[in-house]
Amino acid sequence: MDISSLKQQFTAELAAAASEAELRALRDKYLARKGGLVSALLKHVASAPADVRPALGRQANELKQHIDAQVGERLAEASARRPAADAVDVTLPGRDPLIGHRHPLTLLRDRIESFFLRQGFLIVEGPELEDDYHNFEALNMPAEHPARDMQDTLYLASPVTSATGTPATLLRTHTSGMQVRYMERYPPPVRLIAPGRVYRRDNLDLTHTPMFTQVEGLVVGDDVTLADLKGTLVAFAHDLFGPDRGTRFRPSFFPYTEPSAELDITCASCGGSGCAMCKQTGWVEVLGSGMVHPAVFEAVGYDPERYTGFAFGVGIERLALLKWGVEDIRLFYENDLRFLEQFPL
Amino acid sequence: MKLPYRWLQELVAVPDGVDAVAAKLGLRGFEVASVEQGAEPVIDFDITANRPDCLSVLGLAREASAAYALPLRQPDRSMPAAGPAPSLEVSLEEADLCPRYCAHAFEVLALGGSPEWMRVRLEAAGVRSINAVVDVTNYVMLEMGQPTHAFDLARLRSGALVIRRARSGERMRTLDGIERALEPDMLVIADGERAQAVGGVMGGAESEIGAGTRVMVLESACFKPASVRRTSKRLGLKTEASTRFERGADINAAPAAIARAAALFDQIGAARPLGGLIDRYPKPQPPIRLRLRGDRIARVLGVSVADGDVPAILGPLGFEVRTTPDAVHSAATERSEAPAFRAPSITARTPDAPRPSPFALPTWDVTVPTFRVDVLREIDLIEEIARHDGYVGLPATFPRLTAPQPPPDPRTLRDRTIKQVLIASGLSEAMTFAFVERAAALPFARETDPAALANPLSEKYAVLRPSLLPGLIDAAAYNRRRERRDVRLFETGARFTRDGENRAVAAVWSGAAAIPHWSGGARGVDFYDVKGVVETLCRTLAVEIAFEPASRPYFVDGRAAEVIVRRKADAAGAARGARPVDSGVSRKIAGEVGQITASALEARGFPANEDVFAFELDVDAIAALQPSGDVRAESLPRFPSVVRDLSILVDAVLPAASVRGTIRSSAPPTLVHIVEFDRYRGKGVPEDRVSLSLRMTFRSPERTLTDAEVDDGMERIVAALASAHNAVRR
Ligand SMILES: [Zn+2]
Repeated sequence: MDISSLKQQFTAELAAAASEAELRALRDKYLARKGGLVSALLKHVASAPADVRPALGRQANELKQHIDAQVGERLAEASARRPAADAVDVTLPGRDPLIGHRHPLTLLRDRIESFFLRQGFLIVEGPELEDDYHNFEALNMPAEHPARDMQDTLYLASPVTSATGTPATLLRTHTSGMQVRYMERYPPPVRLIAPGRVYRRDNLDLTHTPMFTQVEGLVVGDDVTLADLKGTLVAFAHDLFGPDRGTRFRPSFFPYTEPSAELDITCASCGGSGCAMCKQTGWVEVLGSGMVHPAVFEAVGYDPERYTGFAFGVGIERLALLKWGVEDIRLFYENDLRFLEQFPL
Repeated sequence: MKLPYRWLQELVAVPDGVDAVAAKLGLRGFEVASVEQGAEPVIDFDITANRPDCLSVLGLAREASAAYALPLRQPDRSMPAAGPAPSLEVSLEEADLCPRYCAHAFEVLALGGSPEWMRVRLEAAGVRSINAVVDVTNYVMLEMGQPTHAFDLARLRSGALVIRRARSGERMRTLDGIERALEPDMLVIADGERAQAVGGVMGGAESEIGAGTRVMVLESACFKPASVRRTSKRLGLKTEASTRFERGADINAAPAAIARAAALFDQIGAARPLGGLIDRYPKPQPPIRLRLRGDRIARVLGVSVADGDVPAILGPLGFEVRTTPDAVHSAATERSEAPAFRAPSITARTPDAPRPSPFALPTWDVTVPTFRVDVLREIDLIEEIARHDGYVGLPATFPRLTAPQPPPDPRTLRDRTIKQVLIASGLSEAMTFAFVERAAALPFARETDPAALANPLSEKYAVLRPSLLPGLIDAAAYNRRRERRDVRLFETGARFTRDGENRAVAAVWSGAAAIPHWSGGARGVDFYDVKGVVETLCRTLAVEIAFEPASRPYFVDGRAAEVIVRRKADAAGAARGARPVDSGVSRKIAGEVGQITASALEARGFPANEDVFAFELDVDAIAALQPSGDVRAESLPRFPSVVRDLSILVDAVLPAASVRGTIRSSAPPTLVHIVEFDRYRGKGVPEDRVSLSLRMTFRSPERTLTDAEVDDGMERIVAALASAHNAVRR
């Protein structure tokens, strides 16, 4: 058999070889030292006439190299395709580490605290059991004040010892008592937020729970203005709801602030055109605020002529409803893991 | 307060439609609850407690007139010609509770229905039409905000009205037909003998006017707010009148409302006045006069208001404004009289401009109209100035930071750390109510009578939680009922006793110990999973802990421990684990860990045959034992350690802590670490014995240890274990 037909035969057989075993057999068939077709050819060359021997030898060697290279290439390809014996199935599920979730209210509280920390506020915490003085009286709400109706109070059956000295008689309806305590203790300037759980005698429904979480803020100094309050709260709303949200600062009433203001943002469900969510106004209420009433300063021994200040209070649950579209506030206290796990860690 | 739009239009010719009017007043502090369109458009406002004057069409019309810079038309209050006075004696005995009491007799001409225009308005405002006389009193109340009450003169004994306190044991049937017991601090309007009305709250049935009434007495008074509020609460009787009086009435509305009623009676032909006005007003109150300083406005609001704007804003609201003679004017602020109803403008203070100078701005002398019971001091006037444009013209600035802040409250930081550790341990944060059912609280309470609420929403929320565990068990049960077997929840927060509140952290864990995986190895949670979380948490908080068997009514016997917390005696030494802390260092029982009993689970609706483990720690107690100051970094070991394993057979009931204690006390000081790595009972181990394997690490800070000295140490350990615990080396 001549060299070129041998080469053609190899080419055909190489194309037909599918497995690595077939490729190795093919290489042996041609190149095996004993009985290989090309080995036999080379032996035959040795006995060829001297004038054709060099050319024949060169061609036979070229064929040998060709076959070796071709089979080698195909074997490399096949081996690259073959999975290792100890290969893993990368598509099977991984082993999840145990990791819990922050409660969404904590998530939001952390976020709010982080905003105010960036603006230089201090975080203070205080007791949940309060006395009437710190919860109401010092805040310009004496007994029989009609504004006490705004905060229906849960009272203790009998007074309980409190860390602050005076016996506690009620569950705090806001964290303002903490602000009063802080002002009683420290002179201005004051720049703080007081986050915590507060309690009101509200029946459970879509927007009420008898316990909820509040963040109140207080800034007092020589030079604090209503415009400063507006600037701070608008920045806060933009931090929480995005810089494109419309904001509105509007007069309101609280006994402990004068002037008082509420902050509204444009309604997310209708974008401001009016819908059932926003009672057709295009706006939803976010928080209450105002300039600290001089009577509050007088109660804590600050000179209301010298100092001015602002205060605000916001329910974290309400912010969560607005921010995440939660439809039922009770979900925050049912602790259904299917709900809790929806929020980012 | 429902404001019929056409009624408003009669007093102020507002050019806008009902929606625009609602929006405009909404921005001036009158929140809009709803707007009803239709033939009789109505705006329903939520009037804040400080503005009783706007519980009236006239009050809201005054606001609209200021907002639109349009004149306010006062309703007709001209007194028609009167007939001869009947015999009527009015004596005001309690001027403290009723500073002014006016009355006027009227001859009833027709007690039929009122005209349609009046009925339509009353109904639009949410009031049912009754008869001409009652309709007029309601009409006056809605229009002016002043409640009045009509008595049938013939039914008043001795033709007398006596304004006095109720007598002890006195009773009266109110207009709603209910017999009420009165108390001596309640104000009543009585005839010569008996109470005929509860002052400012409701009239009495006995002297109610009816078809036979010939002459009636119309009462229009000013009652003290706190007294009305107390009485209304005590009687559980909230009326249109009490709502208005408890917020404060205009002392001068008392006679004005009678004049207005008289004009309306005349207009519809229902009654005609008899005699003159009886006005009992023993201590006439001068109107409040306030000083309003221009510099104070700028200091509170952060904007300067042009001089002419102050009278332009306050005038239409009923305030009399005069520039005081001593007011200092700068050339820049001097200007001619502002035209009436000129739209005021507020000038923004640019952030870098100097704060307004107190010497360039004038001072005004402001007389407060008596209907503005909320305006008592200068700051209240400043609010009026601010709200006139709904704060729209207010710039947005930031408060200056003038002093560094004190360090953060360590409790805030500690709570954050605790949450991070527990979340990283696989527990999710729960929030449960601070009040629980008494039955749920009792097993967890140290006291037989836990702190309770006086006015709980329901029995479900009757007592303050003595522990976080009842709430967490309920939360676990809630999840378990919703097909969730693997529940891992924790909560941080206050718990309560009669001695006050205390911060705690607690967790419950049910179901699997790890997230199920196709590779197998599934295992249910056990005691050591939860104990490990407690250990990790306490290590993070840098306190030493130990566990001792404990007994609790809600924990399975033999599967509960007390957590004993100690201050680290020597942080560096403790980190090496070299020595136990001195027993003299303060120690506290700071919590517990264990398996919840089947009965406790069943009581809260959790399947009794499943394992739930829990822990609760007193965070305040731990905090008191935390080291103060910084961590001291320790240099790393310079010489290699030698590790030796030891397996021994000991009594199955012997605590591992005893074995460790014996090893520590017998080992050379080069023993730096001990850890149990196997515990085996079963084949090859006698019934009451256990095979315990420990790994010990020896190391010297000064040199490389030799095998011989470690061997020597091991021999001493084995000998000590043999003598102390009858331990046999395997
Ligand atoms: Zn909307």
